[in-house]
Amino acid sequence: MEDRLKKEIDGIIEKHEGNHGALLGMLEDIQKNNPHNYLPEESLLYLAEKTKTPPSRIYGIITFYSFFSLVPEGRHCISICRGTACHTKGSKKLLDYIRENYRFENDTGGDAKLFITTEDRNLTLKTVACFGQCAMAPVIEVDGKIYGGVNINMLKDILKQIEGKQK
Amino acid sequence: MTSKQIRMKINGKKFLMYEGISILDACEEVGIKIPSLCYLEGVSKRASCGICMVEIAGANTLMRACVTPIREGIEIFTNTERVRKARQTNIKLLLANHPRNCLECDKNLRCELQKMADDLGVKDIEYPNIKNQEQPLDLSSNSIVRDPEKCILCARCVEVCSRVQGVAAIDIAERGIDAHVATFFNKGLSESECVNCGQCLLVCPTGALMVKSEVDKVWEALDDPDSYVVVQTAPAVRAAIGEEFGIEPGEPLTGKLTAAIRRLNFDKVFDTQFTADLTIVEEGNELLARIQEGGQLPLITSCSPGWISFAETFFPEVIPYLSSCKSPQQMFGALAKTYYAEKESISPEKIKVVSVMPCTAKKHEARRPEMNSAAEYWKKRGRKNSELPSRDVDYVLTTSELADMFREAGIDFNKLAGEKFDLPLGISTGAGTIFGATGGVMEAALRTVYAVLTGESLKDLNLMSVRGMEGIREAEIEIDGRKIKAAVAHGLKNGRQLMEEVSAGNSPYHFIEIMACPGGCIGGGGQPAPADEKILKKRAEALYKEDESKEIRESHKNPAIIELYKEYLEKPLGEISHELLHTHYSKREDYR
Repeated sequence: MEDRLKKEIDGIIEKHEGNHGALLGMLEDIQKNNPHNYLPEESLLYLAEKTKTPPSRIYGIITFYSFFSLVPEGRHCISICRGTACHTKGSKKLLDYIRENYRFENDTGGDAKLFITTEDRNLTLKTVACFGQCAMAPVIEVDGKIYGGVNINMLKDILKQIEGKQK
Repeated sequence: MTSKQIRMKINGKKFLMYEGISILDACEEVGIKIPSLCYLEGVSKRASCGICMVEIAGANTLMRACVTPIREGIEIFTNTERVRKARQTNIKLLLANHPRNCLECDKNLRCELQKMADDLGVKDIEYPNIKNQEQPLDLSSNSIVRDPEKCILCARCVEVCSRVQGVAAIDIAERGIDAHVATFFNKGLSESECVNCGQCLLVCPTGALMVKSEVDKVWEALDDPDSYVVVQTAPAVRAAIGEEFGIEPGEPLTGKLTAAIRRLNFDKVFDTQFTADLTIVEEGNELLARIQEGGQLPLITSCSPGWISFAETFFPEVIPYLSSCKSPQQMFGALAKTYYAEKESISPEKIKVVSVMPCTAKKHEARRPEMNSAAEYWKKRGRKNSELPSRDVDYVLTTSELADMFREAGIDFNKLAGEKFDLPLGISTGAGTIFGATGGVMEAALRTVYAVLTGESLKDLNLMSVRGMEGIREAEIEIDGRKIKAAVAHGLKNGRQLMEEVSAGNSPYHFIEIMACPGGCIGGGGQPAPADEKILKKRAEALYKEDESKEIRESHKNPAIIELYKEYLEKPLGEISHELLHTHYSKREDYR
């Protein structure tokens, strides 16, 4: 593992150490600092060693929260809310539209805890349980920015900006 | 728990109980068994199974007896229709996702889930299986087979692995319907920190964690007319095998065990205690050498392969302190295919060594690549490659696997008259016997070290200070004006505590014994379940009784060992000893 990365994680540990539930904050920062927005195995082993936390426990925490990812994201990321309010306002249609128009790797169907990336690594499509913005349903997040009241036409515009190869 | 007593009622009857104990414990006090599939006294209070439901007067919902403490005036009902229905519903929900092919499961008739379903009156399971994907078997470990399909997520294994053993190789991953027990990145057990101790097998209420059986391979060897199959059996086996056949623990069953094993048609029935004595002579001399020549101290025992894997995984820096002695199992394998083969003029490649061990980690130990000394020995002495023996120990059976073989062969264990081990690898002393209990290796070693240094035996051979069930025990013994400080730990979490001192360079001891399992080998992962402290004490008692009953109780006085040195090894720590009886360890890199 690179020294630069070790130093980065050391800094993250120092920032959170002693706080209640510090591990969650540390994991969040490691993921955020990663250019592909995920938690690489070697970073987690380093964190486990430094914080004297069993790696199996860290894995348990990461897989509990859908926020954390163990695989790299594509260049762009769309998260679609699948909460009840967004569902009734048509979030499934938005999800299906993207799935139908791009070629995704490892799409085994189903939309609970979805995390799929296109073959050209341009776009990652995720589902989340709820953004807590139900008044704006249906809600999607595109590269960190929240969009409310999304319909298919708005989605098409967003996808145009993201570019990437459609089917 | 406080010493304050409070008034309470159970099923309408009044009782005085200590404040702060759980409802489950209070009911147990008065003879009411509260069923549970996840609770483990002193270890696990996950309250995950939902079977221990009781009704409390004034409470809207049923409560879980394992995690609800009693309070002044509490009124508990354990046998109402509501309670019975709730327990039944909850176990049916566990069973909904559980396979129904019990007949084909190794745990059949020994399964807690199966028994409890019967106890709770389950006749039909109306709920469908809603698990969405098949989960593959984990066959990666040399000792343990994991079948996630059978797991009910009680998390006893997770708790034992972390709280008792301090290994924490597994935890619960994901959530909801996807929740499962997993290692880091859900890899195979062999690629995790798992040290193969098998404590998880002893507490698993289903067939989700099972021993990797070698029974079929042993039958095959026994049926092969060209193989000369010898068996060695560890001390702890004789203290527990009876439990498989309804005999209360507390008495050594050495004679019956020997007779029963002989009925399986082994060519020779030998005793691992023979090489336990040999271990003591070698290790005792190693300690003396390190003390006299200023070597690495403390010397740390190396008989427990779970402990060795633990050290190699978590404390590679203590490797120089570990005794280079192989465990008795491996010393036996190496000698059977060299010394014994020569002595009896048997071609070494024909000899197959089967071990019966209380231990699942022994299966892993036997497969370590370096445990191949007999083949190396013969190669060096010019034997053709095609005539080299197989690895030192061919197959390892646990106590429970051996009991399975007895049953399969129709051997009525209870009816057998006692028989003796074969000679000469069946001759042992009481010092070899006590290897099976925590503190035993230490006691056996101190008996010999004392005698070697002073020329006379200890006045009282019973070193009570190293016996017992406390997690860490200390002893100091004065030998020839020199004070030897010793420590004993069992259960790897306790071992970890001693190793942190060694690692920091401030360990005050000369000699440390560590056994991976609670109680030592008698509490091994290959022993019959359950193995609570009461049972462990009884098993230890059986071994101390056998020790007391033996004429010779010091390893160096074993006549077969004396002969072995005279005929073959020449002297402790000599050249052949190093070739066959000693080994090396290395930082574990084979995982992750």
